[in-house]
Amino acid sequence: MNTTLILATLRQRLTSPIRLGLLALLFFMPIGAATLMYQNGLATLGDSYGLTLVLAAGLIGQDLSSGVLQLLFARPVRRSEYLINRWLAVSFGVTALSLVQAVVAVGLLGMRGHPTSAQEFMIFAGNSALIAFGTAAVVALFSSLLPGFGDLALLLVFQLVGGVLQMVGQFAARPLVSRIGTEMTGFITPRFDLTPFFAGVDPSWAAIAAYASTVTLSLALAIVVLNRRELSYASAG
Amino acid sequence: MPAPDDRPPSAGGKSADAAPAPGGVARSSSSRPTPNLLIVLAAAFLVARVATGVFEAGHPPELPDLVPWQSIAEGERRGQQERRPVLYDFTADWCAPCRQMKREVFADRHVAATIVGLYVPVRVLDRTREEGRNPPDVAALQTRFHVTAFPTLVVMPAGGAEPLVLEGYPGRAQTIQWLSRSGVRGVVNFGVRGLPSVVDSSGMRRR
Repeated sequence: MNTTLILATLRQRLTSPIRLGLLALLFFMPIGAATLMYQNGLATLGDSYGLTLVLAAGLIGQDLSSGVLQLLFARPVRRSEYLINRWLAVSFGVTALSLVQAVVAVGLLGMRGHPTSAQEFMIFAGNSALIAFGTAAVVALFSSLLPGFGDLALLLVFQLVGGVLQMVGQFAARPLVSRIGTEMTGFITPRFDLTPFFAGVDPSWAAIAAYASTVTLSLALAIVVLNRRELSYASAG
Repeated sequence: MPAPDDRPPSAGGKSADAAPAPGGVARSSSSRPTPNLLIVLAAAFLVARVATGVFEAGHPPELPDLVPWQSIAEGERRGQQERRPVLYDFTADWCAPCRQMKREVFADRHVAATIVGLYVPVRVLDRTREEGRNPPDVAALQTRFHVTAFPTLVVMPAGGAEPLVLEGYPGRAQTIQWLSRSGVRGVVNFGVRGLPSVVDSSGMRRR
């Protein structure tokens, strides 16, 4: 773990006014909603997917477009180290934000006479961290493929194509087509619920394997793509 | 100071380390090591993903039902007291689509939260096949709502308007959509008690 790279990434991410505005929106709005619909507990906060997208958008592509990568890789920094640490920075950042969000919500819910159990808090925190680490890995892969914020466009394409395939598969009674659509949308939203671990029932091992596979595959491919990329001062990347 | 194996590219736009090494290997650079461990892990998890996926397709895991179902008496008491619509889930232990609905809908944290927010949830378990007959309160509800198949979801709006019924399990997406619409309608019907019910154009059955 390279602390300098992690801190630099977080500093870079948190100095964009638009990004900060969106983060504030995604941070405070769910808290307000959770306070209003206090019967739902922490579930109204939703998950950390939106926060992760905002903080991770352009994770590699932005540096590629701005020419930062060309300068950075002129130093003895491994490309894999750069990528992994940027992924870690965003994942830790989102996890921390989600935790703070949950703590504030727990306080407000308590004030409304709806205390949150430790188990509910732990499940929320764990799920948020899993979504942050998983989604940031996928964004890292997409961002290594396209410059700028092309990663978001690619996510949108996956979401749309996956959704259309699911619908077509259902209407045309083609389970394979539907399954491909499900896998596509599942790939861009890697997650599994920690509830079974707390509820004393067997978790879905397929969901756990799918999550681990998506994260490792995304990171491995992102590193391979980045390693193969020829950086030129003469082009925009 | 640039690393010797990762020098800035020449003016032509090609980097120096893009050229094949004398041994014929295209690229071997200390700043660009192949992530072998990650690739092995990814491959292993991919195999595990396929294997567990195939296994669980035949043996779906028992996921916890996250909806805090109430008994009939308690649910109806709370529905009246809190003036909230009651969601009845007519189900049976032997019913395979019921298990599928439980796994795909009621085990979802967000759906469970939506249900808790909109309804007082009541589970009505049919025991005819196991015990020959149902307890009186179960039988009475089945007669009242004309339940002939499982699963059947019934939303009884708070103001005593006509119940909304979803018979069978049409799939996760449609069930969630139905639950959301019926919940809003249940509240609306209560809120504008005395006015005609909202016209149903969504294919929901009314009784």
